[in-house]
Amino acid sequence: MTRLLSDTDKFGEECSTPVVEAFHLAVKDLVRRKFAASGKPWQEFVFGDAISRITREDFAAIDARLLAYGHRYVWSAVVSQRERPEAYTAAQGVEEAVGDFSFEHPEAVVLPVDSAGLEQRGVGDNVVKYDEDLVGIARYVRSSAQVLSYLEQGVPPGTIAIIDDSGGTLTAPILEQFKGVLCAGGTVRSHLGILTREYGIPCFMNARLSGIREGDTVRMECSATAKTAEHYQRGVEQTGRVWRVQA
Amino acid sequence: MSLSYTQLLETNNLIQQNTDETYWLCLTRTVQESKLFPVSPYMILSYFMAFYRYPALLRKIETHMRAEEIGDRVRGRGIKCQNPAMGWGLPNFYLLGREYLISLGLIRPQDAVEDIIYVLDFWKRFQLAWHRNDAHLTNREFGHRAQILPERRLQIFHADLYDCAEGDPLHSAAQAFMAATSQYGFLVSCESRIALTNQGPYKLDDERELIVRDFMDLAEGDYPWLDGVAAEMPYNNLTVPMAVKGCHFHIMDDWGSFESQPEFKSHHMVGVGLYTSDCLTDSYVPVGMGSREELTATFNDLTARAKEATAKLWKRIAGWTRDQMIDAGAITYFGICKDIAHVAGCYDPADWILVDERAERLRPLLNDEYSNMSLWEILGPLSHPGQRTHDYQLMQHSNLPANTYSLIPYSILDDGDYTRTCGEMHPGITYLEPKADRYRTTRGVLGIAAYNEAVKSFTPRLNQPRFRFRCESWLKYHYDSPLAHEMYRIEQEDSRLLRDRGAGLRRADIEKLRK
Repeated sequence: MTRLLSDTDKFGEECSTPVVEAFHLAVKDLVRRKFAASGKPWQEFVFGDAISRITREDFAAIDARLLAYGHRYVWSAVVSQRERPEAYTAAQGVEEAVGDFSFEHPEAVVLPVDSAGLEQRGVGDNVVKYDEDLVGIARYVRSSAQVLSYLEQGVPPGTIAIIDDSGGTLTAPILEQFKGVLCAGGTVRSHLGILTREYGIPCFMNARLSGIREGDTVRMECSATAKTAEHYQRGVEQTGRVWRVQA
Repeated sequence: MSLSYTQLLETNNLIQQNTDETYWLCLTRTVQESKLFPVSPYMILSYFMAFYRYPALLRKIETHMRAEEIGDRVRGRGIKCQNPAMGWGLPNFYLLGREYLISLGLIRPQDAVEDIIYVLDFWKRFQLAWHRNDAHLTNREFGHRAQILPERRLQIFHADLYDCAEGDPLHSAAQAFMAATSQYGFLVSCESRIALTNQGPYKLDDERELIVRDFMDLAEGDYPWLDGVAAEMPYNNLTVPMAVKGCHFHIMDDWGSFESQPEFKSHHMVGVGLYTSDCLTDSYVPVGMGSREELTATFNDLTARAKEATAKLWKRIAGWTRDQMIDAGAITYFGICKDIAHVAGCYDPADWILVDERAERLRPLLNDEYSNMSLWEILGPLSHPGQRTHDYQLMQHSNLPANTYSLIPYSILDDGDYTRTCGEMHPGITYLEPKADRYRTTRGVLGIAAYNEAVKSFTPRLNQPRFRFRCESWLKYHYDSPLAHEMYRIEQEDSRLLRDRGAGLRRADIEKLRK
């Protein structure tokens, strides 16, 4: 059988994630077959026949084969799931009404209600340390349809937006109107972290939350120490707390 | 071209420097995901584009202007030739494309060797010229600082700053401008930070530092998606020198991001200015700097324009297909270094806003899951098989037995088993609307042919041969010479406080003039 250079690798092991490994094995198999069929040495093949004979259709066939096995891709951009629902896992709590949806992070730190009526429902990486904590109303913002709605009707005053998008584009036209932000992903230097700092909006990134629902009154411990690059580099856990405020 | 051992040693060193810094940047700076844009798919597509096109494009550019001359030219202007564009994007997008193709078995570490040597040598020559005043290759090498500007420019930024304090109209206007324009920049750049950069810090006194903040590609220009929606943005590039008191910027990284101790908050900002520049200006040109009131009004006007353009652009993008979003993002990333073609006067939209067919064929692989996970593996655990090395190795920062990027094997000097280049440019495609022939410049809105022609026939006065090598080391011993005074006076022509002051002033003299 035709062998590629990478078929003899003393140190390389499988990729960590099955879908990556599956794609890489399939592409290497494709390259082997096309290389063998070309009958040319690698030096002539690699930027010659490998370009003209390994086509878009070949790569599309690899994608189709994985789907035929029953795999469904995990989506991250709404447009991906919307255009190919048959190829991606279902989208829940995104474009339909939020209802009782809540983020349920397995590492959320949850504690009973304390004497001040505060029920801890999670933690997050504080972007900027402020003098005081922040209290507001939790509202999930997860789709462009919802952003458009807020863009046209205005964001309700006092909104602490709960977002799973650490980017700066989904909420671009309405970000300034948020009182606070709890973002389920990213780091304090992700784009959303950078922008909330510029706007002076309290923000927790990498927020690990549980049980916070639309309309809950929540309190962010913005007075907690901000997380720094050094914390990330040394693997130091440095978080602020998130409470649900009991009525 | 025959290869030498020395060439390979140097090239592998440049590859390894990018390995080390890329891991640190990705570890400490970002975990990026977007519900709007398929970010990982477009990033990977851009890496493939970079691998296949950068060598030919850089060689084309150098038929017009050498990399080190481009570095000299852009040192005095706030265009997209800084960080992360040139300091990190150019080499790393190329190397990431190479590493992905190695992982997929489509190339070997010893393929396209002359391309690799050339791309990294171009990068090195540009960087050393751009960093000439601090004499480093990268911000990383300088302990994460970027002191790019000469004294004559820093004196003007310092002298013409308007003091401000939290709560006053100028402070509020400047803060609102930087927030709104940052937001707009992220959207223009399809969820990447490459429209924004910072350099510095520069010391104003024992309590105050200055950083220089650039906001780039804001107007109708290279991106098709800004046609129409950015028609009211009057400047393509804006620069804000910002003085701060009470915090020290201890990290200015090769993505142009900063970190400070204590952390920077708006009340630390005590002075601001505003400038524009492009390939057709001698240096930075003041914007609204005639008075404090004029600057406040200018910031407020630009903020309103940025917000209006943000809303329009967001609605346009929200209606895009996935392929259009991927194209726009990939073009933005791949084209991170496109301004070097503008500087050289050879910018061709076909070079920069089309997806090369060699990269395009790989698009069906780029579903969200494969893209997210393979990108995480190649940048985080470094678990693509080609990245793993022997078990005794402790990689810098990660302590892993791995390198982000494969080195070129020296064995090719013995056996000659390598390929030289991936070849010339191939045709490209796009799912986006055609680009209108409108480019906002400091000489008005031009077509690309007129823009290139204007650049070719223009040499910034301080880039003339008789000034080019009159560096800060020369200035130290010749500040009282007619040539030094001439250089300073050219730079000072548009300065409110320093016009015709010449080369003899020190930083303390500037501060006295401001009182």
